[in-house]
Amino acid sequence: MLRLPRLSQSILISVLVFGSCTSMAGAADFELPALNTPPSTEHHLGKMVWADLVTPDLAAAEKFYGALFGWTFRHIRAGSSDYAVAMFDGRPIGGMMQKAIPTGERHQSAWLTFMAVGDVDGVKRTATAHGAKVLSDSRSYPMRGRQCVLSDPEGAVFAILASSSGDSPDYLPVSGEWIWSSLHAKDAGAEAAFYQELFGYDVFDLPSDDDSEHLILSNDNYARASANSLASGSARRHPHWLNFVRVDHAAETAAKVIAMGGRVLVEPRVDRHGGMVAVVADPAGAPFGLMEWTESDTKVEPK
Amino acid sequence: MNTLRRRVLATALAAATLTMLFACAVTGVGVEGSVGYDGGYYEPYGYDYGGWGGGYLVGPGRGGEHRDDHGRDGRDGHDARGGHGGRTPAYHPAPAGRSAPSIPGRSRGR
Repeated sequence: MLRLPRLSQSILISVLVFGSCTSMAGAADFELPALNTPPSTEHHLGKMVWADLVTPDLAAAEKFYGALFGWTFRHIRAGSSDYAVAMFDGRPIGGMMQKAIPTGERHQSAWLTFMAVGDVDGVKRTATAHGAKVLSDSRSYPMRGRQCVLSDPEGAVFAILASSSGDSPDYLPVSGEWIWSSLHAKDAGAEAAFYQELFGYDVFDLPSDDDSEHLILSNDNYARASANSLASGSARRHPHWLNFVRVDHAAETAAKVIAMGGRVLVEPRVDRHGGMVAVVADPAGAPFGLMEWTESDTKVEPK
Repeated sequence: MNTLRRRVLATALAAATLTMLFACAVTGVGVEGSVGYDGGYYEPYGYDYGGWGGGYLVGPGRGGEHRDDHGRDGRDGHDARGGHGGRTPAYHPAPAGRSAPSIPGRSRGR
């Protein structure tokens, strides 16, 4: 046995133990960036503040979204997770996670919508009391905050996030940033009621020419999302959230999507604000929306 | 002396092991393999998309849009409180005098 004074032995052991634990902790911590740097003092309940893509091919997703929107990526790896933070103009705006699809199974790549809350566990309790299911229980990440993944009463998957750096101030997103989220559900009214319980939304029923229900969900005097009846014509449609990225030209962007291996799911069309919207899918099949918005489209500034 | 040294060493190792186990539990390293991130959820496969007719409008308005007050007497599939299909809505409608707001219009840096 190595002859060392007792104190030296203790110090050696302590150093070894500390080193091992630090090393393991470093591997385990998933160092997601803060949503806001410097931190914001604002909190906007029910505002879409983040989105995570799950994909079987992270490299392909980075290439696609980087070319389409000018996003850049910062890689994070911890344990079994392979994750890239999407950055735009120096700000983190979303994440992409590679997750293998087991052999023989087929799943749809998708973007997960994160809504801002102040108290994750409190909102989770309210949600489950009103028919939601917990898909991934509340968990804290050092820089990010605390989050939880849920499915609403119809099964649409969404997440709630209490950002430890506050919520981003209410600015008009620039092209390349998320601008809007829409919920598509069998019973838009019942779903609006569910989210109203969670986020205290004001709900506005807007006129439409079809037989569908189209509701605007607002908070802080700003429209945050819409709840819409699932489009008719097929029984093979399922409730889901859809997020839109602001673009300068929806038709041109949709054409680029096709050129890069994606698909157009809803052709560019004029929406309520007078600009064009389209729904496309990335090469792995994840749907997302494109929305044009000119500065003059916001007619009334309520604050 | 050797026995005492071994005991001290054994005690230190036991303490170290417990410390590591505690640290691992806190940081998420464990037999369940919970290291990493819980954010990714695949949707079910085999569903289709589209079917948006001309009146299928999902975006925000420009602010100040009129509410859907036609047919609130029960015609056009609406009830007096704005519900669809002639039924009371499950949600609490925003006060009747308010129009639907738009998204923020202030640009970053202004």
